[in-house]
This record gives sequence, structure tokens and C-alpha cells, in this order.
Amino acid sequence: MNRDEAKFILTAYRPDGRDAGDPALAEPLRQSSVDPVLAAWFERSRAFDAAVADKLGAVAPPPGLRESILAGVRMSGSARKRRTRLARFVLAVAAAGAIWFGLDHASVSRSVSPPTAFAEFALDDLIHGHHGGTGEPTGDFQTRLAATSAPLPSEVGMDYGRLQTTGCRTLHFAGRELLEVCFARGGGEFHLYIAPRTGGPGYGSASAPVLVTEAAGAAAVWSDAHFDYAVVSQAGLAAVQRLFR
Amino acid sequence: MNSETFAQLVDAQYAPLYRFALSLARNAADAGDLVQQTFFIWATKGQGLRDAAKAKSWLFTTLYREFLRGRRRDARSSSLDELAVASPELLADEVDRVSRLDGAAVVAALQAVDEAFRAPLTLFYLQDMSYQEIAETLDVPIGTVMSRLSRGKAQLRAALAQGQSAGGKVLPFPGAKTAGHS
Repeated sequence: MNRDEAKFILTAYRPDGRDAGDPALAEPLRQSSVDPVLAAWFERSRAFDAAVADKLGAVAPPPGLRESILAGVRMSGSARKRRTRLARFVLAVAAAGAIWFGLDHASVSRSVSPPTAFAEFALDDLIHGHHGGTGEPTGDFQTRLAATSAPLPSEVGMDYGRLQTTGCRTLHFAGRELLEVCFARGGGEFHLYIAPRTGGPGYGSASAPVLVTEAAGAAAVWSDAHFDYAVVSQAGLAAVQRLFR
Repeated sequence: MNSETFAQLVDAQYAPLYRFALSLARNAADAGDLVQQTFFIWATKGQGLRDAAKAKSWLFTTLYREFLRGRRRDARSSSLDELAVASPELLADEVDRVSRLDGAAVVAALQAVDEAFRAPLTLFYLQDMSYQEIAETLDVPIGTVMSRLSRGKAQLRAALAQGQSAGGKVLPFPGAKTAGHS
């Protein structure tokens, strides 16, 4: 084994010395003990690696990540217990399937229909997001959504711009900014995602929303003249459907 | 696995997983999402793993696969795999240079390394895995891991030197994504 070959293998030697007993590294290690040039290189290499490892080890995860992991998995576990074998199942797409097929899918990253992609995004955020809007207009809108017993209207009726500028939670989906508002109704908790329309056909009407169920929860997606909406909940599909009756 | 055992697994692995994800994803928001997604998959699929000792490797493998799934592999990252190059000489002052930097600057330099080299290099510097375990986690031969470590370290030194000459701070890799949540 020449010096370059020894260096090549010793590149994989961890700086804390944990690999000292590795038989595959024994020969280059022995060689470094008798070759002063190799020994000097190895010492510098280990010192460099130790310094990088120290710096990397000092990088702290963002605050709240641990809690988010534990909470997210706890929520998904609850959802699985409530529903058995709920594989992804699009229950009602009306004529949307034919409409969406062949449309420009550039705005979504996977080959699913736009309403389903929007629903999946909302369901994923339901599990992983840090929810909670702030600001008086958001509170008013939440109260209105919670108080009414009427079916969810095709025109949700809110001032998007005002919500946007007063602290309502904003997210991004497929390059579009959207707002999220949480509300409770009929004993269930719901999350409503509102995205301004960008042209093209809507995601279905409030009278015939696209309904999607996954292990994470149930979703309904629809549009009006100005916005695309997704409402998601872990309270079950029936609870989501009741919003529209 | 009960919730207490799961919490112990999270406590033991979420920080190194986050550091690995940060080097791959190049931004904190995506890195956090990758870690969360990894534990979510563990909760739905991984708990059936019979050998608990394999949990760490399973988590890192899953995170890496999730990262790969989330973006298209470009031709360059795979074409560099098998090229053999000698390591450039390591200068003594390079160690001092690293010692003077903060963690964020070192991560930024890691993020500038080609992706094919970045994954094994980050796992190496996390020090929890031997080169054999890195090979298993990334599903590549041991020789490939060594080759990628050698080339990756050379690129890392170049990135650190470049960052130093740019004013003492390694600049973020251009084109880094912005956070999805605001």
C-alpha cells in the first residue's frame, strides 16, 4: 500500500478514534506509525475533521422541533385509531376528474389532480403545521365560521387582504400564498385554507366539493369566483361533509 | 413502541437527523419538515422493525430517501460518483480556519459541497456511523463512500477557503429555497 492509498482509506477514519479497532484500517494505521510524512498528514486530517465535527455538532435544531415531532405523531396515531385502513380515497370528484385530466399541472409537484394535491397539502399541514392565526379580524372570522349552523357557503365571505395584513397565518403551496384559519363547529376542529385563484377552472363548487380522506384526516376542496378553499379535520369525513349540508 | 420509548428515540436522534437534513436541504424549514416526515413515517411503518438497534440507520436512510424523493436527481450528481482523485494536501492553517468559524458557517460550507458527496460527508462528521454504516444507510458500496468522503473533504476545504476569502463567512449556496411557512 503506497502513501496515497493509505491516505485514501484513512479519510474514512473518524476523528474521535472510534475506528481504531477496524481491521480494514489496520494496515494504513500501521503505516502511519512508521511514515513521518503520512503521520503528519493524518494528524492534520484528524484535527481538521475534529474541528468540523465539533462545529456541526454545535448546530442546534430549531426550538419546538422536538415538540412538533411528538405532537404530529401523536395526532396521526389518534387518527389511525379512529379510522381503519383509510387509504387515500377520493370519494367524490363529480366530473372533476375528467376536467382536471390534461390541465396544466405545472403548479403541483406530483401527478395528482390540483384539488387532490391541495387537499394533501392541507392534510400534511394539519399534522405538521404550527397552527394559530392572530389578530382581531382573524378572530372575528373564526367566530363567524364557528357560530353559523348554515352550510358552508360558496362565498365564504371574508376580507382576504385584511386577514393577510393583520397576522393571519400564511403558507405557501405550489408557489401560491394562502391563509389558514382554524375554527370549531359541532364539536369538531377544522382548518380552512384559502388561496387566491390564479386563473383556470376552480376546484369544484361548495355544493359538490372534492372530498379526500387519508390517514391524517379528511378534506374538502372547492372554489368560488376568487379563491380556492380546502377545509380539513381529524374529526372524520362525516364531520367535514356536515359542513356542506 | 409506546410513547415513552418513541420520545426517547426522538430525543436521541432528532438533533443529528436535523443536522443531516440541514446539510441536504440547505434551509432550516425544509430540514425541519424532513425530520418530522421521517418520524411520521417511522410512526406509521418503522415501528415494525424487529431490531431496535437498526432504528438509527433506518431513520437516516428514510430521511435521505425522502430528500431524494422530493427533488429530481440531476445528471451531475451521479456522474461524479466513481471518479478517483487524490486529496489535495491539507495545510495546518486550515484547521485554525475551521476553529475560528461558527457552526452556521461550517454548515454553509457543507451545503456548498456537491450533493453526492454531501450526504456521506455529513454522516461522517456526525460521527455516529462508521463508513460501513454510511454505505448501508446510503445504499452504496464501501469504496464509493471512501471515494465520496475523499472528494467531499476536498470540496469542503475549498468551500471553507472561498468563504474565508469572501470576508470570513461562508456564503449560502445560491438558489437555496425559502421557507414554506411564514
